[in-house]
Amino acid sequence: MKTLVFIQIRDDKIEENTLGILNKIKTTIKGAEIIGALLGKDLKDEWIQELGLHGVQQVVTVTSPELEVYLSATYTKVMMEIINQVNPRFVVAAGTVYGEDLIPRLAVRSNTSCAQRFVDFMVEGDNIHFHTPVRDDQAMKITQVVGDIAFATSRPGAFFVDENPSGTNPEVTSVSVTFDDADRLVKHIEIKKAERTVNLKDAKVIVAAGRGVAGKENFQIIRELADLLGGQIGATRACTDVHWVEETYEIGQTGQSVSPDLYIAAGISGAPQHMSGVKAKTLIVINTDEGAPIINYADYAIIGDMHTILPILKEKLK
Amino acid sequence: MKIVVFIQQIVSTQVKLQGVDYFDASRVSDDDLVINPTGKNAIEGALKLKDSQGAEVTAVCVRGIKPNKALKEAIAMGCTNAIEIADEAFYTDDPYLLSKIYAKALDKIGDYDLILLGVEEQSSSSYAAPAMLAEMLNIPSVLTAEEMEIIDSGFRIGHVLEGGKKIVEVPQKALVSCSDSQYFIPRYTTMRGILAAKKAVIPVWSAADLGLETSEVNADAASLKQISLTNIVIEKETFLINEGEPEEMVDKLLAKLKEDEIKLGA
Ligand SMILES: Cc1cc2nc3c(=O)[nH]c(=O)nc-3n(C[C@H](O)[C@H](O)[C@H](O)COP(=O)(O)OP(=O)(O)OC[C@H]3O[C@@H](n4cnc5c(N)ncnc54)[C@H](O)[C@@H]3O)c2cc1C
Repeated sequence: MKTLVFIQIRDDKIEENTLGILNKIKTTIKGAEIIGALLGKDLKDEWIQELGLHGVQQVVTVTSPELEVYLSATYTKVMMEIINQVNPRFVVAAGTVYGEDLIPRLAVRSNTSCAQRFVDFMVEGDNIHFHTPVRDDQAMKITQVVGDIAFATSRPGAFFVDENPSGTNPEVTSVSVTFDDADRLVKHIEIKKAERTVNLKDAKVIVAAGRGVAGKENFQIIRELADLLGGQIGATRACTDVHWVEETYEIGQTGQSVSPDLYIAAGISGAPQHMSGVKAKTLIVINTDEGAPIINYADYAIIGDMHTILPILKEKLK
Repeated sequence: MKIVVFIQQIVSTQVKLQGVDYFDASRVSDDDLVINPTGKNAIEGALKLKDSQGAEVTAVCVRGIKPNKALKEAIAMGCTNAIEIADEAFYTDDPYLLSKIYAKALDKIGDYDLILLGVEEQSSSSYAAPAMLAEMLNIPSVLTAEEMEIIDSGFRIGHVLEGGKKIVEVPQKALVSCSDSQYFIPRYTTMRGILAAKKAVIPVWSAADLGLETSEVNADAASLKQISLTNIVIEKETFLINEGEPEEMVDKLLAKLKEDEIKLGA
């Protein structure tokens, strides 16, 4: 099965979810012919080698100063050109912000739909069945894109990267595309990179707060608890976006991924984008709302006001 | 400025559905029907522009289960008009078909400067409709917005990005999908709004009104086909402490952690 993967580069490296998808394709699609689409201003040889290592047989490269930053119009145009040349059966991207932007557009230009945020897929005859959790992960929906070409995105965090990849150097071809003013309607101004000053990856204990913390000053108790437990603090994007706490503490799809022994989540609802970054041995939740999705993931949950519960917890732990 | 906001009416995810309920809307009580949460964020985005610039905000809801409730709420929040799009034939679990219906509705609405939608429609977990619609209309678009500001040439928008935030500018006549960032936190309905909603007569457009053949938008036309839908059984057992004084609750938690030999601390 000819499979075209949109290769995403972040921080000068191939992004992990993309490598995860490659691993999933290798192990699920027998005799898959994996083609990587690699777009950018300057492309590194080491990326191409790494793609080969992870099972990509052919890399289609497209370079242009206009591809330095992802923009819907330019990237969609280039990917359509690649699709027309390669004629894949399956087109897939990691469901990052860019992946989720791109795939539906390609689908529309191919007069079809797409499956999104799959956590698994199976090959059934000549078709692919996508498994997607829906309604805050209450149900699993299995779908299929009918037609000659199937488009899909994976859920971030769904697949592991192959630790011992053993592929060989891929064949490299290139495609050139020209752009016009119609492709430049959305103007890139800047990317405000979050400063990652604290690495949470190795933290054994994380005390994290969400919008329920209701203000910058209330992070004090979160810090005190974290200190007391010898851990780090963490936060949802809802908190970092309004600068209640430094951006480095954001956990989830667009923040850091963590895997502590203990994760205490206070005032966090449990959005999939947050939870995809949390793999904790033990999860303790404090939330006023018993119906919050995060309760489903919790090992222990107190239904109560974090502003009352946390100070008591701190006193008792002293 | 003319703004069109597409919202959906879903069964609140607070309600734990069992398999069969997904297919039988009549089993769901009216109280459990809500606007898709990020759709409400989109309404807020429109109303912020209405407050600052003056704008005509039209809320549009396709089919839904018993749709009018969502649109009444949209008006009660401050939207100027509402349009319900309903046809028994519609199959809206395919974002491609949904976007096709949206595009036709916009043809009929005519003039607009800005289209807003929520980032996601939770009941079918589809994030695709905004991008698909933008593509069908061939207009510039920005997805997962966290804040927006009017500038001379159109809008300046900050949107979610892995590892930070991206700032872009789009001309007017654009499509934007809104996230649940602080900027888009929805306002409450007002007394005045509720009265307006009571009085509002909401037109209902059918597939035929939009110039669509039902065969173009029914389940047979879907290219994203559902094969099955099953409840996820969570194997994890949660030790839930939902009663008692705060101090008792904490004691209960600590005792249970001790019993389970879970060490607090690194
Ligand atoms: C593309 C994309 C990527 C994203 N990436 C990320 C990411 O990487 N990380 C991330 O975190 N988010 C991310 N988000 C945002 C995400 O969708 C949610 O908006 C966010 O995680 C919600 O944060 P929250 O749980 O703090 O807030 P809310 O969802 O508002 O939840 C607040 C919770 O606090 C509870 N609460 C309120 N008051 C109290 C109280 N006094 N005591 C106890 N509990 C209380 C409420 O019951 C509620 O459950 C992303 C969004 C998009 C669109």
